[in-house]
Amino acid sequence: MTSLQTDGRVADGRLLTVEDLRTTFATERGPVCAVDGVSLTLDRGQALGIVGESGSGKTVLSRSIMGLLPSTARREGSIRFGDQDLLGPNAPDMSRLWGREMSMVFQNPMVSLNPVMRIGEQIAEPLRIHLGMSRRDAKATAIRLLRDVRIPEPDRRVDQYPHELSGGMRQRVMIAIALACGPTLLFADEPTTALDVTVQAQILELIAEQRAERNMSVVLVTHDLGVVAGHTDVIAVMYGGRLVEIAPTKVLFSQMRMPYTEALLQSIPRLDQKSHTRLNAIPGRPPDLHDPPRGCAFAPRCAFARDRCREEAPPLATAENPDHKFACWYPVGSPEYHETKERISAGLEIGSTS
Amino acid sequence: MSDTINRRLGPLFWIAVGWLVLISLLALLAPWLPIKDPDAYYLVRGERPPYAPSATHWFGTDQDARDMFARTIFGARVSLVIGFVAIAFGMLVGGTTGVVAGYLRGRTDRIVSFVFIVFLSFPSLVLAILITALLDRGLVTIALTLGVLAVAPVGRLARATTLSFAEREFVTAARAIGAGDRRIIIRELLPNVVIPMGALALLGMAVAIVAEGGLAFLGLSVEKGPTWGKLILIGAGSRELEKSPWIAFGPIIILFITVLSLNYAGDRVRSYFDVREIGL
Amino acid sequence: MQRLAASVMLILAVSMLTFGAMNLLGDPLFNILGPAAADTKPESLAKVAAAKELYYLDRPLPERYVRWLGDMVTGDFGVQFGSTGQPPVSELVKERFPRSLTLLVMAQLLAAMIAIPWALISAARANKPADRISTVNSFLLIAMPNFALAVILKYVFGIKLGWFPLTFKATDPWLTRVYQTFLPALTIALPAAAVYQRLLRTDLITTLQEDFILMARSKGVGRQRVLFKHALRPSLFSFITVFGINTGTLIGGSLIVENIFRIPGLGSAIVEAILREDFPVVLAIVMIITTAFVLVNVLVDAVYTLIDPRVRR
Ligand SMILES: Nc1ncnc2c1ncn2[C@@H]1O[C@H](COP(=O)(O)OP(=O)(O)OP(=O)(O)O)[C@@H](O)[C@H]1O
Ligand code: SF4
Ligand SMILES: [Mg+2]
Repeated sequence: MTSLQTDGRVADGRLLTVEDLRTTFATERGPVCAVDGVSLTLDRGQALGIVGESGSGKTVLSRSIMGLLPSTARREGSIRFGDQDLLGPNAPDMSRLWGREMSMVFQNPMVSLNPVMRIGEQIAEPLRIHLGMSRRDAKATAIRLLRDVRIPEPDRRVDQYPHELSGGMRQRVMIAIALACGPTLLFADEPTTALDVTVQAQILELIAEQRAERNMSVVLVTHDLGVVAGHTDVIAVMYGGRLVEIAPTKVLFSQMRMPYTEALLQSIPRLDQKSHTRLNAIPGRPPDLHDPPRGCAFAPRCAFARDRCREEAPPLATAENPDHKFACWYPVGSPEYHETKERISAGLEIGSTS
Repeated sequence: MSDTINRRLGPLFWIAVGWLVLISLLALLAPWLPIKDPDAYYLVRGERPPYAPSATHWFGTDQDARDMFARTIFGARVSLVIGFVAIAFGMLVGGTTGVVAGYLRGRTDRIVSFVFIVFLSFPSLVLAILITALLDRGLVTIALTLGVLAVAPVGRLARATTLSFAEREFVTAARAIGAGDRRIIIRELLPNVVIPMGALALLGMAVAIVAEGGLAFLGLSVEKGPTWGKLILIGAGSRELEKSPWIAFGPIIILFITVLSLNYAGDRVRSYFDVREIGL
Repeated sequence: MQRLAASVMLILAVSMLTFGAMNLLGDPLFNILGPAAADTKPESLAKVAAAKELYYLDRPLPERYVRWLGDMVTGDFGVQFGSTGQPPVSELVKERFPRSLTLLVMAQLLAAMIAIPWALISAARANKPADRISTVNSFLLIAMPNFALAVILKYVFGIKLGWFPLTFKATDPWLTRVYQTFLPALTIALPAAAVYQRLLRTDLITTLQEDFILMARSKGVGRQRVLFKHALRPSLFSFITVFGINTGTLIGGSLIVENIFRIPGLGSAIVEAILREDFPVVLAIVMIITTAFVLVNVLVDAVYTLIDPRVRR
């Protein structure tokens, strides 16, 4: 695959730097800030997990980085990809990067493939556009890619239409398309939510394997901490459009500080159950982005919230480990946290009714 | 309440309605209005008709020096009556059959639906040609012919709307308390079917008025008196268009504004009540 | 297959209606012969005898229908009674039908050629000023009666600008006749294009919101190519359906337009026949038009399978 790579690519080290990214949608009810001051970095070959409940801004964040947003969206802040400034005055033409340098696997393979176009054509399209391949070469490469993503009988499948394939197969095709031009950065936005539990693991395995083989960076978006646990190096937790905790995967699981992260962890669906059935969904609803709360956005649902939480938004602070940051006044392990915990277990206070 | 409707229907809607009221009043009161006699010859000594539009003849005159404005207003009488009678007939017959078919379902529905399909698969103008060619060309015949053509589109909408309402709670409730079919149809279903039909009536009236024009161009319109279609036809020959375009364009403008108003008003009513689109 | 059976049923029903109209509305002999039916002149009596024979008037109604239908199917449309020479109706049809067909095909081609780019442009700029203006335009065009549009186009392009001839000569070479057919075809095409545009625009806008469009964008496919290669084909369904259904309306319209632009096609044939009270001709043309219309809709079904692989077996 090295022959496919373009000049000036980052072979190693820092690939992506996002600083204070803010994405606002103009809507009829006024502006909606769906991504609010997010900063993060990603190295070549690394996998970053973005976790959060539905509506927390994971999709908007990854599409903001990629620049795949509707015209009602406005981005501020800075995004550096390799040596290119994607938001500055000299921003490159994104459609030259899409599919070639960064590509995306979508959530629902049932609706993300063109229903009236042969699979082979859909894989060949970026090859022909970006690499100028001939029709025949592109088809040969498409067959090879189908083999790479473990689709049986690729010679036959290449001429089929999406409706002739199962959901898992279609997601493999999506991955084949995304990988076609050998991108350095792959976004996978809930790539397994629409699939059967047994297929889910296979798809995640496939992405991990291709990442290792191609030294590719991956941003894995999911609402399920369990999914990212085994497949990422770093995990970023989002709530209400903000980053509320970010840490290397091991550190996060061993020393999580945000009560929200903790609540998410407790709501991991068990593998022996049908997907989407939660043991404990977090009670309450995510904040209204039209009218975000003044203090910590999680306060209305947080068992550990105190007056300060409702007055003042906690900044993203660094923990003992310099790679670990979190935004909470009374984090897991703090004296106030233990105090509340004891009171709850003593049955003196239930939830955040104060 | 009335100003919320106004806001959503939009000022253009009321302009359209205003025009429709105006043209209907003009047509209705034509004989008593201070306008010229549509059948008189206003010859001017030493000048050959047709005369171009002027302060005396707003729309000019035709080759026989008859006042085009007066003829257009009198033409409105026939054209509007045709439009009105046709759509009223279509509503009455099509609406009733459609509602009954949609309510009773089963065999009645299948037969009625098939008849509708047969009618709809006939190019409607061809059917009109056939009927008017075989019968006479009186006002009533033409109006009713166009009315027959309206039956199937109207009926189909009435049936579809009825089907969507027949399963709603208020109908089931009425049935549960022992209301008879006739009572359910009249008290529960008709009021709900009437609104989408109203929107369709406005559009259908436009279609009927245009159809009269089409028949006129085939020489099949009402034999006596001016109609919009006949007036335009007279001015539409190459020589007439070259020398005296006003003969055709006066009635064209009035006809177009009327048809446009009907279409616009119908369209607004339809989207105001959120009726799904069903083509004519 | 089921569709085909339904189509045949439909043509049968229409033929019954047509035949019924001719035989039940008034005296069939009069309908066929016109005033000659009541004459006692020897040549009229001969005509009456011939008509009785040809139209099986001495048989009961059902048998008459079956025989008449049989004749129609075998291409025997009967005899023109109104004209003196009495050439068979099929000859008249053979001469006039190609002209009407050319006009209609040209009109539909023009309409599609106008509607598709128009819809693509307005869908790409959905709800922007350009799209708003185009919506107003299509509304005006749809409301415009075809005879009025014919008069306007004739006046502007034929008389004022003189770009197009206003005559049609059957003896002219084919290409010249196509040129002469352009303005009438445009008359039919413009309102049809407006209808198609509105439909296609709506469907395109819906398609453009599908995930697979975003997916295509994320592959680096340019906006134009997304529109043409990815959005257009899946958006064509209602356009094609209405394209077929609309053929019926257009046939009606083309009869009128033929008369305004003096094209001697089926439209003028039917008007002449009505004026002559020559009903066999009227009936034949009505049957041809209806059959053509039903056939177009069968064709539309076939086209479906071409654009959507999911419909294929
Ligand atoms: N085009 C848009 N216009 C306005 N608001 C939008 C738009 N797209 C997203 N949003 C808002 O941004 C917020 C974040 O949405 P996003 O899709 O990123 O959530 P998510 O974390 O991906 O959730 P999910 O798990 O459901 O995919 C939501 O509140 C949504 O309403
Ligand atoms: S800041 Fe307060 S409300 Fe927010 S998560 Fe921490 S403890 Fe809970
Ligand atoms: Mg999402």
